[in-house]
Amino acid sequence: MSVIVKEAEAIMQSAAGFSEATVRAHSAARGEPEWMLNFRLEAWRLFEALPWPKATDEAWRRTRLTGFDLTRFKPVVIPAAEGKKSELSTLLQEELDEMESAASIVFEESELRNSVTRSPLDSQGVIFLDLQSAVHQHADLVRKYFMAEAVKPGQNKFTALHAALWDTGVFVYVPASVRVTLPLQVILNQSSEGVGGYHHTLVVTEAGAEVTVVDDLLGARDGLQASVVELVIGDSSVVRYMNLQDFDHSTWNFLTGRAVLGRDADLRWIQVSWGSRLTKAFLDVELSKPGGHAELLGIYFPIGNQHIDHQTLQIHRAPHCFSDLLFNGALKDKSRSVYMGIIQVLPGAQKTDAYQRNGNLILDTSARADSIPGLEIEADDVRCTHGATAAQVEEEYVFYLMARGLTRAQAERMIVQGFFQAVLDRVPVESVVHKLERVIERKIGG
Amino acid sequence: MSVLEIRNLHASVEDREILKGVNLTLRSGEIHALMGPNGSGKSTLAYLIAGHPHYVVTEGDILVDGESVLEMEPDERTKVGIFLAFQYPVAVPGVSVANFLRTAVSNVRGYTAQKAVAEGRGGVIGSNLMPMREFRKELNDKMKEFNVDPSFARRYLNDGFSGGEKKRTEVLQMAMLGPKFAIMDESDSGLDIDALRVVSDGINKLATSDRGFLLITHYQRLLNYVKPNYVSIFYEGRVVMTGGPEVAHMLEEKGYGWVEREFGSEAVVA
Repeated sequence: MSVIVKEAEAIMQSAAGFSEATVRAHSAARGEPEWMLNFRLEAWRLFEALPWPKATDEAWRRTRLTGFDLTRFKPVVIPAAEGKKSELSTLLQEELDEMESAASIVFEESELRNSVTRSPLDSQGVIFLDLQSAVHQHADLVRKYFMAEAVKPGQNKFTALHAALWDTGVFVYVPASVRVTLPLQVILNQSSEGVGGYHHTLVVTEAGAEVTVVDDLLGARDGLQASVVELVIGDSSVVRYMNLQDFDHSTWNFLTGRAVLGRDADLRWIQVSWGSRLTKAFLDVELSKPGGHAELLGIYFPIGNQHIDHQTLQIHRAPHCFSDLLFNGALKDKSRSVYMGIIQVLPGAQKTDAYQRNGNLILDTSARADSIPGLEIEADDVRCTHGATAAQVEEEYVFYLMARGLTRAQAERMIVQGFFQAVLDRVPVESVVHKLERVIERKIGG
Repeated sequence: MSVLEIRNLHASVEDREILKGVNLTLRSGEIHALMGPNGSGKSTLAYLIAGHPHYVVTEGDILVDGESVLEMEPDERTKVGIFLAFQYPVAVPGVSVANFLRTAVSNVRGYTAQKAVAEGRGGVIGSNLMPMREFRKELNDKMKEFNVDPSFARRYLNDGFSGGEKKRTEVLQMAMLGPKFAIMDESDSGLDIDALRVVSDGINKLATSDRGFLLITHYQRLLNYVKPNYVSIFYEGRVVMTGGPEVAHMLEEKGYGWVEREFGSEAVVA
């Protein structure tokens, strides 16, 4: 005879493994200033107060946390003081070399491993620093922006947990009118098995600044990662951000990201959701001043039993803004994807121009893609369109390519590559495109 | 010298018989026009030669130099020298003409059968395709020769192409693949006079002594530019008459009504 425990109860019990003492120890081990400890404790209280997601919540209706047990993920390893000097593994070195960057920061576990700067960033006033160091060295800036403008600790259960326990992370600050042309690359390899990690990305740009940031996330076998991405984009500033999530296929992955755009600011966000057993990603762009331009591009390719869920929100607060979202996914085996998207046009956001498109290519009939696009429009002079498609690989396409000498496998592979190409064509940095092409190839080949 | 032989071919789709005993022989160096009204099964024959999985062969055979190709996948037929130029080439967004053609040419010429140079994380890194430099040069030369704008190499295969651009690209692909037998399915349909001239010039250039052409067409129009050695009339799923170029002229004079009266199933009964 089996006992069925209700999901919510099981998770509730599991949270017992963490406590306020965990948070205090976590902060003390990092020698943090008091304000950060207090920030964490405040967040911990929020985490305790917030309910766990329920299957009846709209956001969690199609993505269940069955089998998720927070206590299984050991509280994060305490950083060792002398960790920085050892050599990078071949895997990480290859990952670094795959892309040309202005500077790079590598984390293994919750620990800073390596930091290289190839361009004169300091003399221009650019800050590109691991967040832990930034808390000490740039306390005023971090205090002003960290989980204050874009993602707040109370946004959801996982952001509260993240705020209490964040470990790795970077702080990027670009002063007015400074342009960093090559990407800033961040690599996180959560190499121990079964641990929980909480990675943070905070990018702040002043007026007219320009920067490209790439987060490259690996490892986390049998682990948990609850990350937060915050992009605070100044007036007329240009930010390109890529989140390349390539975790092990056993990882529970929760991502909450939000970009807030100033006047005439320009954002391109590229989300690649490749790994994890389950991903739930909340991605928001907020056009808070007139003239903002935001593009959200995403690709995903679940295989096996992977479950990938993106929930996006395009918030038009100010008039004359443009936002365009394109998420394309291919699905193999018994995988599942969920896309939920809302374009929200608030009163006064006239002349809004907003698009949203989600395409799914179903490679096996056992795979399933759910797509729920939506509009909430409270202004009367706007142009908004949205759409979703789900298609299988057309046999006529395959025949045409085979009649030119391609094998069936090659033909299908090419059609899938072509399907993702619509997104790659809009990735502005060439070295990023090449990296993505290789990533796609690896997944198709495997 | 090669021979493509279609022997008493019967084929059906969803239990409806479309080909009813086709006999046709095409040798290297020959241009054979196959003319017939819409719905007579011409395109079905073209698809079947190329190996479309939709149709079921119930009787007969298709042979290249005495070897049956019926059990071969479409890509294997390409390797033994069969090429089908589609009436309606499909658009494949995101796949560039150059990228696709390099893979196709590498397969047909046996590059991909060789071992890859190196293997890296999660896959083959060393390319076992035709070397990029050689390929580029050959493609550029062929584009010039067959009047295809160089920008087509980077464009997505047939995506947003006009009817004429699609047919021109089909000819370019044929030139790169260098087949023994080219089946041109209504390559003249939907073309204006300039595009028709470009396509027929391409065919004439490629009509060498080591290559046979089967021109499937509804109209006489293409035959004003490409001179066939033989003309066959196709009607109700079979070849009903074969002769020299004069057959095409006769057909133009008398029209398909005459074919129906002469060879239609009722006429046969009578």
